[in-house]
Amino acid sequence: MQLGFFFDQTRCSGCEACVLACKQWHSEDEDAVDYITVIEQEKGSYPDVQVKWLFLPCFHCADPPCIKVCLAEAIAKRAEDGLVTVDRGKCLGKLECGALCQKACPYGAPRFREQPSAKMEKCDGCPDRLQQGKDPICVASCPLFALAFGPTTEREIRAGVTREVDGFQYRTRVGPSITFKPKR
Amino acid sequence: MKSIRKVPTGGCHDCGGRCPYTLHVEEGRVKRMEPHSTLRACVRGYAARQEAYSQDRLQQPLKRVGARGKGEFTAIGWDEALDIVALEMKRVKDQYGSDATLLLESGGRPGAEGPRIAVLFGKFGGCLISWGGPSAEGYVWASRATYGSLVTGNSRDDLVNSRMIMMWGWNPVDTIFSTGTSYQVVMAKEAGARIIGIDPRFTSSLAVFADQWIPIRPGTDTAMLTSMAYVMIEENLHDMAFLNKYTVGFEEYRNYVMGEGDSVPKTPEWAERITGTPAQAIRSLAREYARTKPASLITGYSAGRTASGEQFHRAAATLACMTGNVGISGGSSGGFENVLGLATLLGGNTTVGSRVREAPGRLSLAGTLDSNLRNKTRVHWAKTWDAVLEGKAGGYPGDIKLLYVVGANPLNQCLDTNKGVEALRKLEFVVVHEQFMTPTAKFADIVLPVSQHWATDSLMRPWYAGDYYVYGNKAIDSLPGTKSDYEISCELAARLGITGFPEKSPEEWQRDLVRTEPEMRRDIQDFDKFKKAGIWNIRVERPAISLRKQIEDPDANPFPTPSGKIEIFSSKIAELNSPDIPSVPKYIKDEPNMPDQYPLRLISFHHRVRAHSCFDNVNWLRRLEPQRVWINKDDARRRAIKDGDLVQIFNERGVVRIPAKVTERIMPGVVAIGEGGWYRPDGQGVDEGGCVNVLIESRHSPGGAFVSNCNYVEVKGDL
Repeated sequence: MQLGFFFDQTRCSGCEACVLACKQWHSEDEDAVDYITVIEQEKGSYPDVQVKWLFLPCFHCADPPCIKVCLAEAIAKRAEDGLVTVDRGKCLGKLECGALCQKACPYGAPRFREQPSAKMEKCDGCPDRLQQGKDPICVASCPLFALAFGPTTEREIRAGVTREVDGFQYRTRVGPSITFKPKR
Repeated sequence: MKSIRKVPTGGCHDCGGRCPYTLHVEEGRVKRMEPHSTLRACVRGYAARQEAYSQDRLQQPLKRVGARGKGEFTAIGWDEALDIVALEMKRVKDQYGSDATLLLESGGRPGAEGPRIAVLFGKFGGCLISWGGPSAEGYVWASRATYGSLVTGNSRDDLVNSRMIMMWGWNPVDTIFSTGTSYQVVMAKEAGARIIGIDPRFTSSLAVFADQWIPIRPGTDTAMLTSMAYVMIEENLHDMAFLNKYTVGFEEYRNYVMGEGDSVPKTPEWAERITGTPAQAIRSLAREYARTKPASLITGYSAGRTASGEQFHRAAATLACMTGNVGISGGSSGGFENVLGLATLLGGNTTVGSRVREAPGRLSLAGTLDSNLRNKTRVHWAKTWDAVLEGKAGGYPGDIKLLYVVGANPLNQCLDTNKGVEALRKLEFVVVHEQFMTPTAKFADIVLPVSQHWATDSLMRPWYAGDYYVYGNKAIDSLPGTKSDYEISCELAARLGITGFPEKSPEEWQRDLVRTEPEMRRDIQDFDKFKKAGIWNIRVERPAISLRKQIEDPDANPFPTPSGKIEIFSSKIAELNSPDIPSVPKYIKDEPNMPDQYPLRLISFHHRVRAHSCFDNVNWLRRLEPQRVWINKDDARRRAIKDGDLVQIFNERGVVRIPAKVTERIMPGVVAIGEGGWYRPDGQGVDEGGCVNVLIESRHSPGGAFVSNCNYVEVKGDL
């Protein structure tokens, strides 16, 4: 089984509640990094303007490039649900390996704090919450219910659901686990 | 494994919502926050822990040592601090009388654990207080005059029954307008409602919801509404049966609109010159509104925070009547307002149960439309600094010597910050209850460090669309060195020789409030169950339509106005006999002081990463979106300004220096700064914190609206 996200772009208002809900769930540190990035795309010219947002966590890819490049075998893919996890005990740190995982990821999911010894951290899919039958914190926090998480087989491509949106390319060899309801 | 205690509570500031959530507490410290399943917090709520445990929290009373405003303090003990405050309160009262103390209490800490300083002042012989909230005063005045009531809204779950929704200066994504409201707009959109946004900015709400954006110059909304009425009358699209049956004064309004008195027909072409909105767009909108039923015209309060802001809300209500949308499912009375059967703002939303008693012998102001009467007794929030500087000689109700500030940051949030600096320097004594060294606290003589709301049990009311109450269960102990507003009040009472304060324990006080406050008494049957759950859901038939009874059976249910009908012509306004306050809604032009030097219109808006000035010091939020001035690409290009450039925004009142957000999302000729950025003057007095009120003239409208959206500035690159 592979777990993955569904993002209803037509509902996203770019409020970033998901970003901070995730951040406070995973860390109390003042210098904590965001595991989710929300990108604002402004298009057109006044007064015919359009704004869309893109939700970028870790996509827990089918064949994660971050795992292949890690020198310490610190990154693994869970057999039971396909979540990509990092063992920070094994991670060599940003300076030591040159952040190979971050460079390998086409979506920028692996994050490091500022200090040179910082270990990789990223969206972990909230396994603690999944175990309790709950959604990941980002999904549970979205005020407009624009996010869902579950087995990707339930999120097959159907009418109105795509693997790509403006600014997000589905890379077949990597297989990011996310589908979209795109905003036109 | 450490044990985790889960505490149902909520938050947090007077942000426009009131979010219920559960805190995970481990060894006395809040670790995580779990959102409510449907009433989900916004980004500010998720940052509340960073604020609560900020390094910047004040943990010792402070006494000023340097010049006032320099921010030089020495730490002192609580006893010494409270002795000084009590002594000064007594001295000022004995020397100058109770009108020499102004209490500014606002929504910074809106939960109530017990009676607070306002009640204490009542027992101390009263003091001056404020009127005219910076929020919605234009609407309040207009609704009183037009409907005779502030309870005129449909419950938000009724939006789904609208075929057309106009979001007129209404931005619930950022301002929340009660936790969970935006989701109801999603439901309406997905049910097929056409959504049109009328706003100088293409806000996040419009970006996600609107099918069409109609930009408009700030302060001119009434002109556009008036010309929409013109189109409806000219094309005979208005609902004459509704107007005849339920309203008075349409004939006078029609005469004004058609130009029969002043020879100025209020055509869309007339409005285009004023609003900058193409006449054709106005015509189409008027036709669509008149022909699509039911339709909801939802106004925010920003367009009412203008020179004649009450006229905007009066005109909106009139259009809702002209289209017969009042009191029906899927319609609206012209706003998004208190709902019959739900929690309303009438119960004192921000500081529950802490109503002040003014000095004995005061005039009753309840329900009056006469601003002059109010100004004789109280100080309008917009005129706070004028009142301090000019006193009785300037027509204000007291010569203010002592300023007492609780849950408020007036230097930042009242108008004309530089005037505020001058006024604060003039005072004899300033005391501030605060968690942080805010711009206002910097000017205090004594700063009393207060606890955060998770450290006390407190009652919270949601905003008015809320169909629930929140019980803020105590989750953690107060930070060492801090006391709650309630504890401070009790300790001052002892020093002031006031007996009977508090009359009862906080828990008894809360139980009594729930038993006696009319709405909570109606809604909450079981205090213990409420406290245990942290939330109480109000059971009421849905959708709730406040004015349905008046519309379905008007003879049995007259409107609470002098005529018993909706007053397009208001006899109460006519009695005021003031040329600034016409008895039918009119567009009144507001001329800029120096149109050539300052060609850009400035608006201030509620910023998504702050609740007014709360949270400006939280880095997690700042990193999401730093303080910037919105400027249109054309205006920026003409001034050689690029996105992200540091710029100066200035006028005759002051200078603000912050980066520019160059965007197509704002109308050319308009710039916008989110309110609440902390005033941070450099050596030359240039504000680097982005406090928009540095640039705003201190005035209120004839009806009492806080005029924050009618100012003019110039912008230049900071070289």
